[in-house]
Amino acid sequence: MALLEVKDLDVRFAVRGGDLKALRGISFSLDRGERLGLVGESGAGKSVAAFSILNLIARPGYIAGGEILLEGKNLAAMSERELRKIRGNRIAMIFQDPMMTLNPVLSIGTQMVEALKAHRRISTRAAREIALTKLRKVQLPSPEKRLDQYPHELSGGMRQRVIIAIALLLEPEIIIADEPTTALDVTIQAEIMALLLELCEQDNVALMLISHDLGVVSQVTQRMLVMYSGRIIEQGPTREIINDAQHPYTQGLIKALPQMGEPGARLFQIPGSMPSLNNVPSGCPFHPRCEFATDQCRQAMPGYVRSGNVDVACYEVSNLIEQERLIRIQEQDS
Amino acid sequence: MTSKSTPLVDIRGLEKKFDLSGNFLEQLSFEGGRLHRKQEAVHAINGVDLQIQKGEALCIVGESGCGKSTIARTVMGLLTPTAGEIYYEGRRIDQLRGKELLPYRRKMQMIFQNPYASLNPRMTIRQTLEEPIRFHHPDWSRMAIDNKIQEVMTSVGIDADWGGRFGHEFSGGQRQRIAIARALAVDPEFIVADEPISALDVSIQAQVLNLLVDAQKTRNLTYLFITHDLAVVEHFGTRVAVMYLGRVCELANTKTLFSTPRHPYTQALLSAIPRLEDDRPSHIRLQGEVPTPVELPSGCVFHSRCPYANDRCRQEIPKLIVTDDGTQVACHAVEEGRL
Amino acid sequence: MTTATLSRWNRFRDSFLWYSFKRDKVAIASFMVLLAMVLAAVFAPWLAPTDPYDLATISIMDSELPPVWITGADPAFPLGTDAQGRDMLSTILYGTRVSLLIGFGAVILQAALGILFGLMAGYMGGRVDAILMRIADVQLSFSTLMVAIIVGAVFKASFGNLMYGEIAVYMLIFIIGVAEWPQIARTVRASVLAEKKKEYVDAAKVMGFGTRRIMFRHILPNTLSPIFVIATVQIANAIISEAALSFLGLGMPETQPSLGSLIKSGFDYIQSGSWWITLVPGLVLVVLVLVINLLGDWLRDVMNPRLYKG
Repeated sequence: MALLEVKDLDVRFAVRGGDLKALRGISFSLDRGERLGLVGESGAGKSVAAFSILNLIARPGYIAGGEILLEGKNLAAMSERELRKIRGNRIAMIFQDPMMTLNPVLSIGTQMVEALKAHRRISTRAAREIALTKLRKVQLPSPEKRLDQYPHELSGGMRQRVIIAIALLLEPEIIIADEPTTALDVTIQAEIMALLLELCEQDNVALMLISHDLGVVSQVTQRMLVMYSGRIIEQGPTREIINDAQHPYTQGLIKALPQMGEPGARLFQIPGSMPSLNNVPSGCPFHPRCEFATDQCRQAMPGYVRSGNVDVACYEVSNLIEQERLIRIQEQDS
Repeated sequence: MTSKSTPLVDIRGLEKKFDLSGNFLEQLSFEGGRLHRKQEAVHAINGVDLQIQKGEALCIVGESGCGKSTIARTVMGLLTPTAGEIYYEGRRIDQLRGKELLPYRRKMQMIFQNPYASLNPRMTIRQTLEEPIRFHHPDWSRMAIDNKIQEVMTSVGIDADWGGRFGHEFSGGQRQRIAIARALAVDPEFIVADEPISALDVSIQAQVLNLLVDAQKTRNLTYLFITHDLAVVEHFGTRVAVMYLGRVCELANTKTLFSTPRHPYTQALLSAIPRLEDDRPSHIRLQGEVPTPVELPSGCVFHSRCPYANDRCRQEIPKLIVTDDGTQVACHAVEEGRL
Repeated sequence: MTTATLSRWNRFRDSFLWYSFKRDKVAIASFMVLLAMVLAAVFAPWLAPTDPYDLATISIMDSELPPVWITGADPAFPLGTDAQGRDMLSTILYGTRVSLLIGFGAVILQAALGILFGLMAGYMGGRVDAILMRIADVQLSFSTLMVAIIVGAVFKASFGNLMYGEIAVYMLIFIIGVAEWPQIARTVRASVLAEKKKEYVDAAKVMGFGTRRIMFRHILPNTLSPIFVIATVQIANAIISEAALSFLGLGMPETQPSLGSLIKSGFDYIQSGSWWITLVPGLVLVVLVLVINLLGDWLRDVMNPRLYKG
């Protein structure tokens, strides 16, 4: 059984004039120790997906349907009290901005001890010891000194290491990392991502990495899913998707990267932009920007087809696969 | 790299310090039985020489604290240099004020990083675009101004009918286009772009970058492009200057820099870019933490993290030397042939 | 130009302000009441059944008549009369007029001073900022009432009652206006400091615009939102301050009374049973200040960060 299984998750925002659908029935799974990447641009719903796993969506957002199964138990149906036992304990989260996660008026040590004592009955001294171990694990220089320092006394990279240490305090089974390195310099980003990878491999911790940076996702994850307008449009092994993306949107995303362009020439650009939540096109949400769009695309959302090890939601892809199948049958007959 | 003609923009010996000391009373402290006067400053730029030739796109890359944004703002006159000079078309501009600076204000324009803060929320797009045109061309007729606004809006891909809307009605990418339109509205020659696409989504980045490339071709622009994204530099720049803690480490043609980076910092920086071909992170690991620009290390600013540092590096500041392929590098190891 | 005004009206109709107003019954009710009072005050000369300050029309025989719903009343004076025989309804209409005049006048003055100094202090920084803010600090440490009492007393003593009567309105507007500018200045200064860091200000500088243009044309419009909220509450405060001063005998004179001085002049007659002379203007004052404060509350909620998102 997969460690985490999300089935048909439907998240909406209740605003004046109706409900906005942020997630329209997404399904994916995460095995123990597996590293999964959630890729998409802003507005696609990846942060919403991450937050809703721990039911952290603030009002007016709410889970309208679907299940979030952690080893069979549905998190979406749990009470606050039961959820609190899971948050930080079995599933930990790392956010983008370390200054937002760390309380600026409490020392690092206080915050870490507080996190530990919320879930375990241990003395402050024992908690400090554990905190120190974790700080060493994230390779934070002079960890003893840091326990008594305040967040503003550390650099951005160091703060993010502290955040990771806090996430590891209770030895979670899953870490959800929401754009953990976007705000960091590129050399620090490389260090942090390498660290995260090492830690997850060493302790067999599952990782859900949300990022808009395909390069980072490519380096760190084993599987990835691409989100667009609240839906998963492509899902499968990272290497396969990056080397041979099937969905036109994914292809466009990859082609638009400066590292994929010819120096000096125009970059490939996907026309238009992601639709806002209150303006979603009918059928496949990508059709207004897609060069392969047909009437079928405008009418109904495509289902998933399998191409290799990848699941894609696209009529064009399913048509191509069908054609190939027919050609193969013809060749077999002849 | 020798240039036969006068560079469009010439930055000589630029230094910029930000005083953190506070007022006199705050500087005093009582330590060890004696009165100390503490004077701290952020040494943002520590001796930079750059020439920008007409028609090129010079990129300055570096990480936070390297001073690249400070250079952009100093060149544009938003900050005054602590030392050094800035020349435009051979004339010194860093001391000019008010009326004398006005003609240069038209020729030199800037695009900023945050599209959500670079448009006045209380002005319509039309007003935002009209004001600079009217200011620099007080003699233009109503129709001439309208035509210009229309032309510049269309050229950045914003529907001219939307002039009556406010900034918050547009997406980030659109706002950045409007900001570019504002800069182009006065027909500048030189544009400083300070991280213009960092705050945008990947697919929108491509759109805006293409827009800047097109604008350069059609309007004969020269760019000073500040960014931390090396992939963008590889695509867009003609020459690159890599900065670290207020000094230029390496200055080279884009192709040369990416194929044969000389300076240890450049090498580390390039290796840190997450590439799509990578299966795992495989970057050069630098030791230690980034020093703060408040207390600059002695000698070469990079020595505390450099795998090749020797005693000379710790004491002597390396000067930019020209290597055989025209690249300028500031590194003792390169100079001594160790690298 | 009509298309421009039409689109402005449409934009207003679509705006969050209007939407929120329509749904908030308290806001609507308060606005209606305030509007009624303001209109009544503005048109007082036409609405008032009598001119209470025309000595020829009042008769001491009509004095201390109770309001209509009490026995012994005269229907010609629906709210009763005061000790001199003046019609209460008329005096209240004129009194509200004076109170509102002082309230709005004082706030316009303090807003003008506050915005100007706040802008200068915030944008120019350095010594200008230091000097202006120290002056503001000093002024804040003086209570408005205390200053007004001293100035009022000095005025009355030096210029005599008659002269005082003529300029009382302007003097009160001046005192309350000048005393309260620091609050607005501080708020504006805080907004300016925040706006100064935004890139559109840099863009304006890069374009070559001068300090004055940037301050007034670019930054000022973005600092005004909190001022609307403060101004509303300050109107109420100004009216109350004036009422307090009048109650102490240092505000408006008998010949040109405000609600406050009406309350004062009726105060002595509570013992003799003519409670309406003090209570009716008192109620009117309370209602006026209440609706202004309620509107201010609504305005503050509406203008909250939601509007700053952009």
